[in-house]
Amino acid sequence: MGGFAVRVQEVPERAAQVALPAFADIVREHQGMVYSLAWHFLHDRALAEEMAQEVFMELHRHLADIQSPEHLVFWLRKVASRRCIDQTRRRAFWPKFGLDEVPEPVAKTRSSDPMLSRTLAKLVASLPEKARAVVVLRYQEDLDPSDIAQVLDMPVGTVKSHLQRSLGMLRDKLARTTGEIAI
Amino acid sequence: MSNLEDELRRALRREEPPADFADRVLAQLNQPAAPSWWERFSVLMKPPRLQWVAVTLMVSILLPTAALRYRREQQIRAEGERAKEQLLIAVHVAGSRLHHAQRKVLESGRMETRL
Repeated sequence: MGGFAVRVQEVPERAAQVALPAFADIVREHQGMVYSLAWHFLHDRALAEEMAQEVFMELHRHLADIQSPEHLVFWLRKVASRRCIDQTRRRAFWPKFGLDEVPEPVAKTRSSDPMLSRTLAKLVASLPEKARAVVVLRYQEDLDPSDIAQVLDMPVGTVKSHLQRSLGMLRDKLARTTGEIAI
Repeated sequence: MSNLEDELRRALRREEPPADFADRVLAQLNQPAAPSWWERFSVLMKPPRLQWVAVTLMVSILLPTAALRYRREQQIRAEGERAKEQLLIAVHVAGSRLHHAQRKVLESGRMETRL
């Protein structure tokens, strides 16, 4: 952790080219997290990739401000979530996948069914943007409500209510979509 | 923990981007940055270059010359219009006098015939 701080702080602001190999390692280490946040949020692979690239470009500009690996992860989650929310608002993306447009599974669903996973992912992508960010950070990143509150700059109570409401909505919709399943 | 939460964890598990993702990010970083609006604006504000001086000189010579020429043409046209109007008046006056003289000649001819 201290080593990371030294490594990053040693990088002169104007000599970013020198730090590219180290930066490449950072990208490779965290690309899955950033890309997945964007993918689960936007449900568009090209857009998710573009957004993840923009997040890392922004990181490169602010590399000198990063103080530790934990701070780096926090920063990436915060910037990726904020960009996803902004993108959704700007393009009126929601609801690209309306709750009623989610296809019904063809067979009776079972736990850990890939079809169920796809349906759930699409249902998550149809949630309002803040609720969606909360759900993605909770279940992709396994963050506690207090951590999510910090990343999204919102009160813990709001995070909890978003979670509760989103779970209820997802459960109802999933039950209606799949018919027989009760999870 | 409910099944739904387990299923959500499965549905929202991390996925890796395409294999060349990091290389593309680095390639973008190596590209020269596009000039910002301020940089473009400051270029316009720099001292004029030689070609702009030449263009300014040309314009400052050609513009007054063209303006003078246009004004001269306007004057000639106005004089022509005035001359045309005078000629028309003269023709009109001459025509009416001729008509008057002709009438007098006809009247005197009739009087001689009666006598």
